[in-house]
Amino acid sequence: MSGEFIAFFVLALLTIGGAVFMISFTRVVHMVVALAFTFLGIAGLYVLLEAEFVGVTQVLVYSGAISILMLFGIMLTRHDATEVTERKGPFKYIAFAGIAVFFIVAFLGIQSAHWGDQQADFTKQNNVKEIGIQLFTHYVIPFEAVSVLLLVALVGAIILAKKEAEDE
Amino acid sequence: MSSVSKWGNLAQYDWSVMSPEFIILGVATLLSLLDLFMNKKADRRILAWIGFLGIIVAGYFVVRNTGQNVVSILNDMYRVDGFANAFKLLFLSGVAFVFLISLTYIDESKNIRYSGEYYYLILTALLGAMLMASSSDLITLFVGLELLSISSYILVGTRKQHIHSNESAFKYVISGGIASAITLYGMSFIYGLTGSTNLYVIAERLSSVFYDGFDFLVYFSFFLMFVGFAFKISVVPYHMWAPDVYQGAPTPIAAFLSVVSKAAGFAIVLRVFLISFGSLVSFDMETGQQGSVLVNTLSVYIAIVAAASMIIGNTLAMRQVNIKRMMAYSGIAQAGYLLVPFATLTVLMFEQTMFYLVAYLFANMGAFAIIMLVNRDQKTEDLKSFAGLYHRAPWMAIAMTFFLLSLAGLPITAGFFGKFYIFMSAIVHSSYWLAGIMLATSVVSYYYYFGVIRQMYMRPGKTEAPLKVPASIGLVVLIALVGTVAAGIMPDPVMQYIHHKFPLQQMFQPGGQ
Repeated sequence: MSGEFIAFFVLALLTIGGAVFMISFTRVVHMVVALAFTFLGIAGLYVLLEAEFVGVTQVLVYSGAISILMLFGIMLTRHDATEVTERKGPFKYIAFAGIAVFFIVAFLGIQSAHWGDQQADFTKQNNVKEIGIQLFTHYVIPFEAVSVLLLVALVGAIILAKKEAEDE
Repeated sequence: MSSVSKWGNLAQYDWSVMSPEFIILGVATLLSLLDLFMNKKADRRILAWIGFLGIIVAGYFVVRNTGQNVVSILNDMYRVDGFANAFKLLFLSGVAFVFLISLTYIDESKNIRYSGEYYYLILTALLGAMLMASSSDLITLFVGLELLSISSYILVGTRKQHIHSNESAFKYVISGGIASAITLYGMSFIYGLTGSTNLYVIAERLSSVFYDGFDFLVYFSFFLMFVGFAFKISVVPYHMWAPDVYQGAPTPIAAFLSVVSKAAGFAIVLRVFLISFGSLVSFDMETGQQGSVLVNTLSVYIAIVAAASMIIGNTLAMRQVNIKRMMAYSGIAQAGYLLVPFATLTVLMFEQTMFYLVAYLFANMGAFAIIMLVNRDQKTEDLKSFAGLYHRAPWMAIAMTFFLLSLAGLPITAGFFGKFYIFMSAIVHSSYWLAGIMLATSVVSYYYYFGVIRQMYMRPGKTEAPLKVPASIGLVVLIALVGTVAAGIMPDPVMQYIHHKFPLQQMFQPGGQ
């Protein structure tokens, strides 16, 4: 049992645990905090995979900016809102059964594959430099398209959320 | 890589082939800026006309690219081939129709406050669809898919005062998010197994991976991606959003979703699976025979999905009283028919799909234009709003009859030959059960299409007052009618045109720069 395995186990538990608690909590603030744990766990997994830059970005953007933004959003609106208890019906069990089957299939599929013994070695690569070069040469078209995408999301958020005066 | 320009590596590519995309992007930006500086009370219809002009110019550049050799930019991040050009022309004409329909829709009823945003969000959605048609890299394809999706989520919710619109936008964004997650999960397996996002490299490496004991994961990723894409083309298992969303969305946007968005879904399905899985060969240990995995194994599942979509779409459409819900279920069934050529994979697969999509474009756009007009006049989306249409606007009723006949697949319309070619492909492939289901469900579909026709001719309407037809709607209906009938009388020239101008083989050729 190597240190890497222990680290992976802890981080995976943090990620999945955060996601499960996110769903099962009823108070919105608790949900966001649980979600922040998931984001941190994912950042840790990135670092474990030697993608430090992506890991740091994950912490900055998701764990930092997005979680704080959500907390602010909740504080400015109804922060004591709790979820109404959902109705119980056969649909819930059907959905659960479907997810269970999907999990078993995916799990067995991944277990049965014969992965190679040698590990990929990325220690010699300069993460940030490689990402930068790829982003502005090879991936310049999707990169520009993503900027349009973000603009669309921004405009959409404004026109859907804007509270207009009733008089025209 | 011969000459190094002082502008660096990027300058060596022939960027002029991307001009349709640049024009659409430029016009969308221009519209957003104009919208910002225009008087708040000013009429926004001028923006629609600028956008319409931009679409025409972009269409001109696509036509200029047509028939040329394959051009590939940045290692197939963007490529122009017959496949891409055909789909781009389809998207552009679809969006041009949507603009014309929107002109009337937004003008009279003040139900969309942000009409400036409305127009340029359609253009960004179009940009996403065009990227989905002309890339061979999973990342660009996915970004295009998301650009189309996010623009559509917002467009569906633009009727802000309307509770159905809010609900449908919310449903659409949730199910769309799940679909994107499933697609990405499937793509991540492919990337993990092959180490590339380029479809040609994936195709090269997938065979060796397949024999190294990863065959299950290859199948698994195929099904995940297919389920994710099924959301965009609204087929079983991911069709449930369509009726609710079409009902809540503004009618022109419902037309957009049913034609352009669906065609974009087919573009990505065909591109991804034909290139990356097309050359995958399985080897039977007992008989020693080789067979294509796509043709032998996967096509059965695609055929089952197609059959299930036809059955569910057509049977549920019969029970609808809301015309837009009925069109949504009809759209699910049509998507099922459109999957048949992909399941049978005959030589003419691409021509059959394209012909059917063109027929579907004309029929659906024309039908939605008339639906919009009638619903607005009667202030209800009920099927009964069509009652007595023949006495109020005989030409509209006759045109609608042709569109419905085309959707049902009856003669002297384009839809008949579209279905006929698809039916023949099922026979050639000897999938007789699939052909049988096609026939049976088509007969079922007559019931609800003729239900609308019966309302128009045989039921007395509330009023006999003539229905005023605005010029832009008249134009849409006229073009759609001419297209439907012309392709229905002379299907062969259309097939020949598609075959010669948009050769599918180009999709598998390496591109020059």
